[in-house]
Amino acid sequence: MLYFAGIDIGSLCTKSLILNEDDAIIGTSIKRSGAAYRGAGEDALNAALKDANLKSEDLNYIISTGYGRSRIPIADEQITEITCHARGSSFIFPEARAVIDIGGQDSKVIEINSKGRVLKFVMNDKCAAGTGRFLEVMAGSLDIDLEQMSELAKQSKKEVQISSMCTVFAESEVISLFAGGTEKAEIASGIYRAIARRVTGLASHIVSGKKVTMTGGVAKSKGMVWALSKKLKTELLVADDPQIIGALGAALIAKTKFNNL
Amino acid sequence: MSEYKLNRLETTKLIGNIVDKHWASLRHAKENGEKVAWCSGPVFAFPYAMDMKCHFMAGYSAYAGGRGAAQQLLEIAEEDGELIDACSYHKLHMGMAAAMRKNIPVRKDVILPLPDLLISGRLCPEMSHYAEGLYRKMGVRVTGVDVPPPHQKSEIKYFEKYVERQIRESLIPALEEVCGKPFNYDRLTEILIVLKETAMLRNECWEYLKLKPSPWTLWDYGVSIAPVFYLMGSPEAVPYYKKLKAELADRAAKKIAALEPEKSRVYWDGWLPWAFLGKFSRIMCKLGMVPLVGRYPWEFFPHPETIDTEGDPVASFVKQVYSNGGQAKDNMPSLNLPVIQNWVEDYKIDGLIMFSSKSCRMWNLGHNDFIAAIERQNGIPGVVIEGDMVDTRMNSFAQIETRLEALAEMIEARKE
Amino acid sequence: MKQRALNQCMKVSGDPYGYLKEWKGNNNKKIISCFAMNIPEEIIHAAGLLPVIAWRSNESVSIGHSHVASFNCGLTRSFIDDVLKEKLNFLDGVVINRMCLQAQGIPFILEQNTKWANIIYMSLPALYGSDCIRDFFKSELDRLIIAMEKCSGNKITTGKIVNSIEIYNHNRKLLSDIYEIRRKNIGIISAREMLSIVHSSMIMPKEENNKLLLEVIEELNLKVAEGNHKSGIPVVIYGSLCQTPHPELLDLIENTGMVVVDDDIFIGSRYFVNSLDISDDPIESMANRYLSHIPPCPTKGDYKSNWSTYISDIMNKNKAKAVITLMIRYCPPHMCAYPDDQINFEKKGIPEIMLEVEHEIISLEQVRTRLQSFVETIGGI
Repeated sequence: MLYFAGIDIGSLCTKSLILNEDDAIIGTSIKRSGAAYRGAGEDALNAALKDANLKSEDLNYIISTGYGRSRIPIADEQITEITCHARGSSFIFPEARAVIDIGGQDSKVIEINSKGRVLKFVMNDKCAAGTGRFLEVMAGSLDIDLEQMSELAKQSKKEVQISSMCTVFAESEVISLFAGGTEKAEIASGIYRAIARRVTGLASHIVSGKKVTMTGGVAKSKGMVWALSKKLKTELLVADDPQIIGALGAALIAKTKFNNL
Repeated sequence: MSEYKLNRLETTKLIGNIVDKHWASLRHAKENGEKVAWCSGPVFAFPYAMDMKCHFMAGYSAYAGGRGAAQQLLEIAEEDGELIDACSYHKLHMGMAAAMRKNIPVRKDVILPLPDLLISGRLCPEMSHYAEGLYRKMGVRVTGVDVPPPHQKSEIKYFEKYVERQIRESLIPALEEVCGKPFNYDRLTEILIVLKETAMLRNECWEYLKLKPSPWTLWDYGVSIAPVFYLMGSPEAVPYYKKLKAELADRAAKKIAALEPEKSRVYWDGWLPWAFLGKFSRIMCKLGMVPLVGRYPWEFFPHPETIDTEGDPVASFVKQVYSNGGQAKDNMPSLNLPVIQNWVEDYKIDGLIMFSSKSCRMWNLGHNDFIAAIERQNGIPGVVIEGDMVDTRMNSFAQIETRLEALAEMIEARKE
Repeated sequence: MKQRALNQCMKVSGDPYGYLKEWKGNNNKKIISCFAMNIPEEIIHAAGLLPVIAWRSNESVSIGHSHVASFNCGLTRSFIDDVLKEKLNFLDGVVINRMCLQAQGIPFILEQNTKWANIIYMSLPALYGSDCIRDFFKSELDRLIIAMEKCSGNKITTGKIVNSIEIYNHNRKLLSDIYEIRRKNIGIISAREMLSIVHSSMIMPKEENNKLLLEVIEELNLKVAEGNHKSGIPVVIYGSLCQTPHPELLDLIENTGMVVVDDDIFIGSRYFVNSLDISDDPIESMANRYLSHIPPCPTKGDYKSNWSTYISDIMNKNKAKAVITLMIRYCPPHMCAYPDDQINFEKKGIPEIMLEVEHEIISLEQVRTRLQSFVETIGGI
C-alpha cells in the first residue's frame, strides 16, 4: 500500500492528514501552531501517523501547505493552500465550483473547475475583518468562547451594525455597544454579519450561481456559516471537518505528484 | 437626558420635498421625452439652460447617503470589482450603474436614468473618474471641463479664461449637439437671476450664524444648500430662503438658540458627513457644541451673489467660480488659511473640527498644519476626526466621540 | 561577470540622498525635485538646474504622520516625512503637478514647514483634445520657464530647450535599448536591476547617466554572449504610478517562477516611451508628447484609450503569459481605473493578479502565497 501525507501549517492551527492509495483518509490531526512552525508540522504529522498506525518511513510523498509550508524539511514539495483547498474541496464535494476558505489570518475565495483546478482566486490579506482572528478577538471582547458566540447569535432578535472593518476599531465599537446596553446576542450576530459582508464583497462575483463549499477553521462556526449563507443567498456545503480540507488537498496532490514521478 | 436642548427649524422641514421633487423629475425625465445629463463640477447651469434634467455628482451622493442607500450601493460596487479605498462618491455611482446593469434590486428612488451626456467637470481629478468608468462600461458620451483650483492669486484670471473658453468651445457645442438646438443664453441668464437672488438671501441668513447664541447651525445650512447649488433657478429657491430668513429673524428677536444652552462654537472642515448628520449632531449636542461655519459649504461653492445679471452669462458664471470666490479661495489651502482665520473671529469660534475623509483626499492633507497655524494666531484648539461622508464602515463613532469629547475638554480648559 | 555600471545604478538608486549631496558638493548647481509624473524636466534642465524625480524612501514614516494621514499614498507620506526630517535640505525647490488631490495638498504643507523659495505648482491639463487644452498646456510651460529662469538666474532660450530635449531623447533611447536587450534575452537582467537603471536616470544628470547607460549596454552585451539567463513564465508588470515598487516585491515575483519581460510602471517604461520631436518649437513638441494618449494614464480624463489594451499590446510584443498589476495603495486615480482593466483582462483570457504596494511592507509572506498560487493556477497544478 502507498501512503501520502498533507501538512497544512496555518497561522493558528496545524493540520495533518494521511491518505492511502485508494483515497481513503486513514489518519488526521489538528494542533495549535504556536510560535515554532517547524515543530508544529512534525508534531501534527506524527499525531496523524499515530492515528493511522503508520511510521514516517511508510509515507511515499509529503506535501506541505499553509503559511508555514516552507519550514517543513521533511516535505517533498510545497504547494499553496489555495490550490490545496481547491483540490480537497472538489474531492469531498465534486459538484462545488467555488470555495470560500476563511482561515486564521486571511480569507480566500476560489473558483474551481470539475477537476478541482483553480481557475481564479481572490484573497483578503490586508485586514483582519473576515478572518478567524477577528472572530477570536471579538469573542474575547464579549468574554465568551467561539461556541457560545455561535449559540448566542441564534437568539438575537434585533440587528445591530458592527460597521468598522478594523479589528481595533471594531473592538471599541463592540465595547461601546455593550456599555450602551445592547445584548450580547445581538452583538454576536452583528459580528457574524460584519464578517459575512466583508467576505461577500470579495466573493459574490465568483460564487454567484455556483455550488459553494466553505472550508477552514471558521467554517466550524455555525453562526458564521449561517450568516454567510444568508448574505450570499445560497446554501453552503460544509464538510464534517472543514478545517482539514487544506491538508486533504495537499495529500491528494502528493498522490498525483508521486504517480507522475 | 441631555442637559442641552436642540431647537429644530420649521423651514428646513420643507427641504425634503423640494429635493425629492428634483430627483423624481430626473427619474421620470425619459418618460417625458426630456434629455438627461449627469454632471460633476459646478457647471450644471449649462444643461439646465437647455431644459435638460441634470444630476449633480456630489448632490446625488449626499441624497443617496441621506436616504440610507449608500451602504448597499457601495457594496454592490465592490462586488462589481471596485476597490474599497476608492472615492466613495465614485463608488456610489458605479454601484448604481452596476445595479442597473445587473438588475440588482435596490430602492427605486436612488436609481437614475443613464444620461445622454456626462459632463465631467474635473474640479477634482478623482471624482470625474466615474464618467470614464461609465463611458467604458456603458458607452455614455462624455465631455470634460478641466476646472483647476488656483494656487496663487495671480493664477485666478488666467484659469478663469481657460474654463470660460472650454465652456464655449467644448461644453456648449456638445450640449447643442445632444439637444439638437442652439444654446439658450437667455434661459441661462434667467437661471442666474434667480440664483443670484437666492444667494443674496442666503448671505443674509449666514449673518445670523455670527450671533451668539446662534439661531441655526451649519447642519441646518447643509440641508439647505441645494437651492443655491444644484437646484439653481428652481421656483422654490427664493421662497425657501425668504422663509428661512424670516424664521431666523424671529428666533433672533426672541433670542432662541439652535442649541440651548450654546456651550461652544465650532468650525467644521471638510465634507459634510451626509449619511451621518444626525449621528454627529447627537454627539455634538451632548457636548453643547454647535457647528457654524466650514470651508466646504462656504467657499467650495461658487458665489452667485456676485453674478452680473446684465453681463454675458457665461463669463459671469465663471467669474463667480474664480474671481469672486469659490474655487479661488477654497481648494488650495494656501489661499484658504487666512479666510478661516478671519472666520474664527467673525463667527466667534472656540474650536476646530477637521473632518478627514478616508476615501477622499480633497481636504485632509494639511489638516494638522491648519490646526497649528490657527492655534498660533487665534489661540483655539482643534482635532482631526477620520471618517467618510457616506461609508459607514469607515466611521468609528466610538473613536469620533472620544475625540470630540477631548475637543470639548480642551475648549473648556482654554476658557478657564 | 563585469557589472561596474549596473552596480553604480544600484548604488544611486539605493541611496539617492548620498549621491545628490555629493554631486551638489562637486557641482555648484541647484537641484529641483519633480513631483512626480509628467513634469517637463527639459525646461528645468535648460535653465541649468538639475531636475530629479521625487522618490519614496525606504524609511518608515515617523514625524510625517502628524501632517499626512495614513490613508495617503506612500510617496506623499514619505516625501513629507523626509522634508520634515530635513533630509531634503539639499533641494532648492520642488515642481509639483496637479495630477491628484494629494499632489494638490502638498504645496501647503511645504509652505508651512520649509523655507524653500521655489515651490512651483503646475496645473497641467487633465484632459486631452481641444485647442483650448493645448494652449493652456503651453501657457503652463511658459509659466514654468519664467519660474525656472527666476530660480536659476539664467535665460531659457529655445536653443537651450532643444539641446536639453536632445540629451533627454538620447537617454530615452538608451533606456529603450536596454529594454530591447531584455526583450530579446529574457532573464538577462532582473526586475530589481531594471528598476535601479531607470531610477538612476531619474536621479542623475542625464549627461552623466547617458555615459553610464552606454556602459550598462556594453556589460549586458557581454552577458548575452555568456548565456544562461534566468527562465520562468514571462510576465509584464504595470501600474506603480509615481513611485518605486519595493524591490523585494519584484524579487518575489521572479523567485516564484516568473520572469519580468517588460513593464508599464512609472519607474520603468512609462518614464521613457515617446521621444520628443526635435523642432524649432520645442514647446509644441512637449505638448505633442504630453497630450498624446500614450502611455494611457488614469490621472487624466481619457475617454479614448484603454490602459488594458495598451498592456495586452505590450504582452503580445513580448509573448508574455500573464500580467501583474502593481497597485499603489491609496492611489485614487489608479484605484478608480483598475476595475475596468481587470474586467478586460478577464474577457481577453489574460491571467492577471493585483498586488497592493504599501509604503511599509506589511507581509511579504502573504504576497508570496498569492504569487505562488497564481503560478500554480497558470501552470495548471
